Amino acid sequence: MNHIGTNSEAKIGSLTKPQTQINSRSNIGQRKVKEKIAFSFIWLAGFIAIAALVWIIGYVMVQGFKVIDLEFITTRPQGGMDGEGGISTTIVTTIYLVVLTIAIAAPLGIGAAIYLVEYAREVEKKSKLLRYIIEVARSGVEILAGVPSIIFGLFGFALFVSFMKLKFSLLSAGLSGACLILPVIIRTSEEALLAVPVSFREASLGLGATKWQTNVNVVLPAAMPGIITGIVLSVGRIIAETAIFWVTLGGSYRLPTSLLSSGRTMALHVYMLASETRAFDKAMGTAAILIIVIILLNLFINYLSKRLTLKATGKGSQR
Amino acid sequence: MSDKTRTQINQISSKKPFLVKIVSVLIFLGMTGLTIGVTFFDLFIKNEELLSFLSSPETTDVLVKFILSGLLVILSILVSQGLWNYKNWARTVVIISIIIYEMVVFVNVLFALSAEIFAGEEALKLGVILLVLGKYLWVIVLRSVIPLLILWGLFKMEQYFEETPKQKEFVDQTVRYLLLAVGLSAIFIVFLIIIFTLSESWDAIEEIGINNMLFGTIWRPQQNEYGLIPMVLGSILVTIGSAIIGVPLSVFAAILLAEIAPPLFRNIVRPAIELLAGIPSVIYGLFGMVVLAPIIRQIEIPRNTGYGLLNASIILAVMIIPTITNIAEDAIRAVPKYYKEGSLALGTTHWETIVKVILPAARSGIIAAVILGIGRALGETMAVIMIIGNSIAIPSPITDNPLSIIFSGARTLTGNVAVEINYAAGAHRSALFFTGILLFLMIFLTNSIARFLMKEKVNS
Repeated sequence: MNHIGTNSEAKIGSLTKPQTQINSRSNIGQRKVKEKIAFSFIWLAGFIAIAALVWIIGYVMVQGFKVIDLEFITTRPQGGMDGEGGISTTIVTTIYLVVLTIAIAAPLGIGAAIYLVEYAREVEKKSKLLRYIIEVARSGVEILAGVPSIIFGLFGFALFVSFMKLKFSLLSAGLSGACLILPVIIRTSEEALLAVPVSFREASLGLGATKWQTNVNVVLPAAMPGIITGIVLSVGRIIAETAIFWVTLGGSYRLPTSLLSSGRTMALHVYMLASETRAFDKAMGTAAILIIVIILLNLFINYLSKRLTLKATGKGSQR
Repeated sequence: MSDKTRTQINQISSKKPFLVKIVSVLIFLGMTGLTIGVTFFDLFIKNEELLSFLSSPETTDVLVKFILSGLLVILSILVSQGLWNYKNWARTVVIISIIIYEMVVFVNVLFALSAEIFAGEEALKLGVILLVLGKYLWVIVLRSVIPLLILWGLFKMEQYFEETPKQKEFVDQTVRYLLLAVGLSAIFIVFLIIIFTLSESWDAIEEIGINNMLFGTIWRPQQNEYGLIPMVLGSILVTIGSAIIGVPLSVFAAILLAEIAPPLFRNIVRPAIELLAGIPSVIYGLFGMVVLAPIIRQIEIPRNTGYGLLNASIILAVMIIPTITNIAEDAIRAVPKYYKEGSLALGTTHWETIVKVILPAARSGIIAAVILGIGRALGETMAVIMIIGNSIAIPSPITDNPLSIIFSGARTLTGNVAVEINYAAGAHRSALFFTGILLFLMIFLTNSIARFLMKEKVNS
C-alpha cells in the first residue's frame, strides 16, 4: 500500500514541476527536415524507376519507327545474316496463334468458370468426394497460374510436339498457349460471374426458365465485360510470350499454310533477329509494333473495366 | 378470361410464320441435293470444302460413301421435318450448323487472303492490297448471304418454336455433366503436366542420378556431365542482383504513388506502369543487348564483354518493377484511412506516419508483391538468355576483385532449358526436363509463400 502511495505521489509531484524545458516541443522542426529528406529520396527513387522504364520503351519505339513502313509490314522475312525482308508472315502467324489459342482456351475456361460458380455449390452439398475433387481443381488453377511459361513450353514440347507427333506447328503452340492462359480466363470469368447479382438469377428462375437458360440468357450477358477483359488480358499475354513458342512453334519464317505448319510470332522474331542476325534495327521495328499493340490492348481493357464498374455499381470508377 | 380474349390469344400464338416452313423445305432440298451431287457426281467440290470428304480419294469405298451420304440425307430430313413442325431442337441444330459453316468460310478466306498479300517477296502497293481485300470480302458476302439471312430469321422467330419440358430437362442435365468435365480440365492439365515432365525426366533420374545433377558442378552433356550447380548459381545470383536493384526502387515508387504524389501524377503514372507490366520481355532483352551492353563495356576491365550478371540484373530489375509496384501500391492503399488519420492527429509528420503506421500495416501485402516479383525474375527466360552471356562455367570474379563477379557471364536454369531443348536427345533431354521440375518446385514454393501472406493479410 505504501509503495503505491509513494509512486503516485512522485508522479503527481513531477506533473506539478514547473516546465523549464521548452525544446521538448520543438523537435518538430527536426522531424520535418527528416521528412523532407526522406520525401526527396523517395521522389528520386520513384523517378529513377519510372525513368528507366520510360527510357527503355521510348528508345525502342524511336529506333523502331525509323524502320517501319508499308514494305516492312507486307513483305516476308528472307532470313540471312542481315535479316532482309519485312515481318509480314510474323504478323499473320501471331494473329493465327492468338485466334487459335483463344478458340481453344475460351470455351474451356468460361465453361469451367460457369461450372465452378453456378453448379459446384449444389454438387458440393451432395457428395463429399465431388467437393474434394472441386477443391483440388481450384488449387490446380492457382498452381497453373504461377508456373513460368518455359515449363509450359517444355510440357507442350513433350506432349504435343513429341508424343502426339504434331511436330513444331501452330497446333502444338496453340494447345500449349491455351494451357498457359487457361488459369487467367478461369479466374477472370469466375470473378465476372460472381459479380452478377443473385437477384438476376432468382428472377429468371422465378419466371420458369431452366438453369441453363438462365445462364445463357441472363447471367452470361451480364458477366460479358468481365469475361472479355480476361480474354483480352490473355491476348496480351500470348502476344508477349516468347519462351513457350520458341519450343513449340519452331522458327520458320514462312507463312503457315495449315494448322500443322511452323511459323514465327513477332516476339519470337525479335528474339531470333537479335540473336541470329545483325539486324537490330528490324528487331527494334518489330518491337515497336509490339509495344503499340500492347498499348492499344491496354486502352481497350481500361475502357472495358470502366464500363464494367459503371454497370455494376451505377457510378463511375472510384479510382 | 372471356371467350373472345381466349380466341384472340390463340390466334396470335398460332400465327406461326410461313417463312420457317419455306426454310425447312429449302434445307431439305439443299442438303439432299448437295450430298448426292458431291458424292455421286463430283459437283461443287471446289466450293464446298465442308462436304469434300465425301468425294476425297480416301473414301472411294463405295459402301462408305453410301453410308455417309445416306446418313447426311436422313439427318437433313429429320432436321427439316423438325423445323416444319416448329421444334426448337431443329432450330438449334440449324443455327449451330450455320455458325460452323460461317467459321469455316471465314478461316478459309483468311488463309487464302494472307497467302496472297503477305507471302510475296516484294511489297504490294496499297491499291493492290485494297483490291485483294475487296475481292475476298466479296467472296465472303457471296457465300454467306443466304445462310446469314436464315440465321437472322431464325433468331427473330425464336418465340414461335416450342419444346417439351422433358427436352428442357434433358438439355439441362447434359449441360451439367458437360460443364463438370470442362471444369475438371484445369486439374487435368496440371495432372498431365506433372506426369509428362516426371516421365520425361525419369531417364535422367535413373541414369544420372539426382545427386549428380543437383550437386554436380560441371555441365557438359557431351562428356556426360550433368551438374546443375552452375545454372542454379546463375539463377540465384541474377535473381538476388535484380532484387537488390529492383525491390527498393519499386517499393519506394509504390510509396510515392500511394501516399506522396499528387493525384494528377498518380493518374498518369499508375496506368503507365500497369501497361508496362505487359510489355514482352524480349524487348527488355533487346535493349540490354543494344544499349546497356556497350555502356557496361566502357568500364575498363579485361574480359568485360558487357554481357553478364550485371547486365541481366539491371534489366531484370526494370522488368520486375511494374509487377512489384502495382501490387505493393494496392497493398498500401488498402490500409484503412483511419490508421493514417489517427496517427496524424497524434502529431506525427507524414513521413513518420508512413514508416511507423502505414508500412507495417501493409507489410504482408508488400512482401507478397516482392515475392511475386522475385518469382517472375526466377522464371524469366528469353530476355535473360540475350544478355547474360550463357557461359556454362560457375560464375566467378574475372579479376582479383571479388566484386567483379558481376561482370562474369552465367547461365540460368531457364536459359539452359530454352537454349538446349531443341537439339537435346536421350539423357541430355531428360536432364533438361529434370531442370524443369526443379524450376517448377522453386517457383511453386515462392508463389505459395506469397499467396499465404496475401491470405493472411485479408484475414487480418
